[in-house]
Amino acid sequence: MTTTKYGSLVESAKQRRLNRNKFVLDTALESLSALQNDLSIWARELHIANQHITVKQDQIDAAAEAYEQIANHLVSELKWELKDINIHPQGSSRTQTLIRSPNASKFDIDAVCQVNISRIDAHDPMSFFEEIGQALSKFEPEAKKRCWRMEFSGCCFYIEFTPSVPLSTIPAIALESVRYRPANNYGSTALAVVDRPTEYWKTSNPEGFANWVNEQAEKKLMLNLALESAALSMDFGITPVPSQEVPLSDTLRVAIRLFKRHRDMAVQKGNLDSEYKPISVIIVTLLTQCYEGLADIGETYSHPIQLLTDLAELLPGMIEERDGEYWVANPTVEGENFAERWNQDEGERKTAFDNWCDLLIDDLQSILKETNERAIQERVRQIFGCTGADTSGPKPSSGLAPSAPTHVVLPPATPGLA
Amino acid sequence: MPELTVPSKKERLFPVRLPDISGDRQFQAAWLVLPPKFPQEGIARIRLSSDAVLRLPHVEGDGHLCLDGDPGPASGNTVEDRLDLLLRKFYLDFIDLWFTGELDDDFSEEALNYWSIHVFQSASAYDAVTRIYTVDTGFKTPRVYHARLLLPGRIVVAGENQSLADDFIASLGDKARQVCNVQVADIPISHKLTPLTWPCTESDLERLIDNRLSKSMLSKFGKKTRRRGRAVHRIVLLRAPGCSFGFLLSGGPPTVVERGRSKRAYPTRRMLPLLVERIDPLWSCGRDQHPEIVDRQQRHVLVLGAGALGSTVIDQLAKAGVGCISVVDPDLLSTANIGRHLLGAESIGRDKVSVLARRIALSNPAVKIHPYTVTAQSWVKKHTLAKVDVVIDLTGEPDVRWCIEHARKEYPCPLLIGWMEPYVAAAHACMLPSNKRWIFALGDPLESLQAVDWPNDVMQREPACSSEFQCYTSAAATHAVALISEAALELIDNQINNSVVRSWVRGQRFLDTHYSGLKHREWAEKAAPFDGISLERALHG
Repeated sequence: MTTTKYGSLVESAKQRRLNRNKFVLDTALESLSALQNDLSIWARELHIANQHITVKQDQIDAAAEAYEQIANHLVSELKWELKDINIHPQGSSRTQTLIRSPNASKFDIDAVCQVNISRIDAHDPMSFFEEIGQALSKFEPEAKKRCWRMEFSGCCFYIEFTPSVPLSTIPAIALESVRYRPANNYGSTALAVVDRPTEYWKTSNPEGFANWVNEQAEKKLMLNLALESAALSMDFGITPVPSQEVPLSDTLRVAIRLFKRHRDMAVQKGNLDSEYKPISVIIVTLLTQCYEGLADIGETYSHPIQLLTDLAELLPGMIEERDGEYWVANPTVEGENFAERWNQDEGERKTAFDNWCDLLIDDLQSILKETNERAIQERVRQIFGCTGADTSGPKPSSGLAPSAPTHVVLPPATPGLA
Repeated sequence: MPELTVPSKKERLFPVRLPDISGDRQFQAAWLVLPPKFPQEGIARIRLSSDAVLRLPHVEGDGHLCLDGDPGPASGNTVEDRLDLLLRKFYLDFIDLWFTGELDDDFSEEALNYWSIHVFQSASAYDAVTRIYTVDTGFKTPRVYHARLLLPGRIVVAGENQSLADDFIASLGDKARQVCNVQVADIPISHKLTPLTWPCTESDLERLIDNRLSKSMLSKFGKKTRRRGRAVHRIVLLRAPGCSFGFLLSGGPPTVVERGRSKRAYPTRRMLPLLVERIDPLWSCGRDQHPEIVDRQQRHVLVLGAGALGSTVIDQLAKAGVGCISVVDPDLLSTANIGRHLLGAESIGRDKVSVLARRIALSNPAVKIHPYTVTAQSWVKKHTLAKVDVVIDLTGEPDVRWCIEHARKEYPCPLLIGWMEPYVAAAHACMLPSNKRWIFALGDPLESLQAVDWPNDVMQREPACSSEFQCYTSAAATHAVALISEAALELIDNQINNSVVRSWVRGQRFLDTHYSGLKHREWAEKAAPFDGISLERALHG
C-alpha cells in the first residue's frame, strides 16, 4: 500500500505513542474484552453525551431562520446581481460538529457571503467589507477580524457573515500580497476574505475544509457497520444549515464533538486556561487527518469506542514540526498553519494542548475502568458535563403534576418528630 | 394528603406530588411547608429532600426552594389562592424547567451561593483554615507564593500586597495573635465553578494544579505527601471573574484546638473547600464599580484640620479608596467635641490625629494615615509639598491659608479650601488646580465668598478653631461633609481644570429658624425658597 501523507503522520503518531508508552486506553479496552464485556454500555452512555451536547433543533431552526432572513435581506440590499451572490454556512454547523456550550453562552452560525465582484472592485477589500456591513446595517452588525457578527436579543446564537470573493477574482497585482494559496484539489472552492488587521485579502477555503471533513467522515473504518450519510439538501444560492444530529457510528464527527466538549469542560473546570485552550479548528483538523490516515493505512475497528480511544491516543502525535515550528496545516490552503500562534507564545498553547490530551486520555481511561453500569453513567456525565442527559426532554406534564402522589417520602428525621 | 408536623419547629409539612421521572433528574421528595401561625403570619414555602441540595439549582442548604410564590398574608389573597400560586409556580417555573434541562445553566448565576452551601456542609470545628481573604485583584497567570495563616482566627490572608496584608492583619486584633506561613497556588480560571464543575476530590484538584502550574511552580508548591506533619499547609485559590474558590489540601501541621483546659491536635485528612473574600480596595471601597480607586490608591493627600469637618472628611476619603492621607492638627479631643467629631468619649484628652489615624486605618486597611500633632504652620515649616498630590485645608484659619499659598509657590499642587458658615447655613469648597492661586492682590477672598452677611453678635468661628464654637448640629454639618468630600475626590481624580467654588446654601426658612433678620447675599438669593441648594461659581472670575 502506498503511504499517504496522513498515513505517515498516523504511523509516526503511533511511534510516538509507543515511545511515550501511552497505551492506557488500549490496555483498558483489552482488559474489558478479557472480562467479556461488550461495549454497549459505554457506547450508550457516550451516545447520550453526544446527544446531550447537540444544539436543540428548535434553536437550530431559529438560527437557520434568522440566517435565511439575513441572507435574503443581504441579497436584496447588495448592488450585485442575484446570480453573483452565494451564501452558505461554514464551520461547525456545516460539518455537523456544532455543539452547545456548557454554560449559557451563545453558539454561532458562521456563514460565507461570497460575491462575484468585478476585478476593479477587488482592488479595495476594505470597501467591499464595509459594503456588506452597510447592507447588514439593519441588524446592527459588529465588525470582527474577518466577518460581521450579528447578535439577536433573547436568542441563543450569533450569526457571523464573512464577506468573500472567489480567489480567481483577485487581480494579479493584488494577488501578490494575498496571504497563502489554495492547496491542490481545493482550488475551486478557494476564496479571498478580507483580513481587517492587514486590510488585505487573505485566502480562505471554508467550503473546501468542510468538504474535506465531510469526505473523510464518509470513509469506513468500522467493520460491519453501515455508515449513515447525512443528505444535505441543496438550494440555489443559499445552502440551509444542516441538522446537527450525529449517530455514534459517525465516529469522526462524534470524536470531534465529544473532544470539543471535553475541551470546553476542561476550561469550565479550570483545568485549561481559556486563553491558551486548543481552538476548535485544530481539534477538527488533527482528528480528521488522523481519521484519514487510519483509513489510508487500512486500519479497521469493530466498535466505535475502539476508534474513539485510538483517535484520542494518537491525537498528540499528529502535530507536525517543520523547521522547529509546530504545524497544523490547513489541508485546503497551502502554507496556512492553524498553530501559528503556538510558535509565538513561549510554549503556552502547546503545553495546554498536551495537558488537555493527557486529561482526555485519563478521563476516557477512567470511564473504561468502570464496569458498573451506574458508575459508567456517572463518570461519563461528570466528564462531559451531561447531568440529566437521558431524562431531559419534553415537559413531563402539561404543567401540573399527576393527580396522585407517585411516592410519599417522610421528611428528614427531626428531633421530636413523632 | 397526609400531614406531617415537626413539633420542634411547629411547622407543618405536606408531601407534594412529583412527576414519575427516573434517571438522574429524580429527587426523593418535596413538601409544602407551612410555618407556625400560618396563614396569619409567615409564608408557605417548598422544601425538597436533601438529595436535591447542590444537585438542583435554587435549592438552599436546608432544602428550601428559592421561589417567590406565596404573596404573604398582607397581599389580601385567600389561603387557597396563596397556596395555589405557590404550587403553580413550583410546577411551572421549577419542576417543568428542571425536567426539561432549562435550569441547568442557572448554577453559574449564583455560583457563590452554592459554593457557600458546599463549604458549610464540609466545615467542622477543627478545620485548620476557616476563610481566606485576598488583598489583590488577582493576576492573569498562575502564581505560587507564601501567605499568612493567622491563629487562633484560622484565617489566611493571601495575595500580593504586603502593606495591605499587614494593615489588615493588624485590624484583626486577637484573631491574629500568631502568624504562620502557608503555601498558596493562586490560579486564574475563566468560569465560575458550579457543583457540576468544581473539583470533587483532591485528585481532581491535584490534576488541575498539574495542568496549570509550570514545573518550577509545581516544585515550589510541593506534591501531596503521605509524610505526616508537613511543615506548612497548602492552599489552592481558584480565581474566577467575580468570585474566588479556596481549597485547603490535606496534610500540613495539625490544628490545635483548646477544649477547656486540654488541647487536642487534629490533622487535616481531607481536602476542604473554603470561602474566599476580597479585601482589596477595588472591592472593599468600591465593590468593583469604581475603577478610579486604582489611581486614588496612589495619591497622597494632605488634610489640615481634623475637627468636626476634617475628621469626617478624612473618613470619607479613606472609604473612597485614597491610598495615603497626612493629617495635621495640634488639638486634643475635648468633651465638647464628641457630639460632632468622628471620635467619641473613649478618645477624650488624646490627640485627635493619632487616635483618628488608628481608628480609620483599622476600619480601612487600604489607607495609610500619617498623623502630625502640630499646627499646620509648623508642618509647613518642616515639610514641603513635593510629595503631596492634593492639599485640603479645613482649618478655616487665615494664617494657614497664607502659609499654604506660600508652600504651593514652591511646589504647586491642587488645593481645596473648605469651611462652614454659622449654623451651617452655608458651606463652601473652593477647588483650585495646581497652577491657580488662592490669594490675589485683593487679599484672602474667603469672606467675600460667603452666602450670608452675618451680624456682629453671631459668633463666626471656623470649625477647627477650638477656642470658640459656632452653633450647628452634626446633622447640619453632614451636608458640608458631603459637599467637601465630593469636591475633594474630584480634585484627587484630576477632574478640576479651573478654579471653582461650590457651595451648599440653606434657604430663608432655615435662616429664620436660627436667627431673625438674616438675608442671603445676592449671589445666594436663589436658595431662599428652598430647603437648601448647591451652587457652583467660578473663582476669581
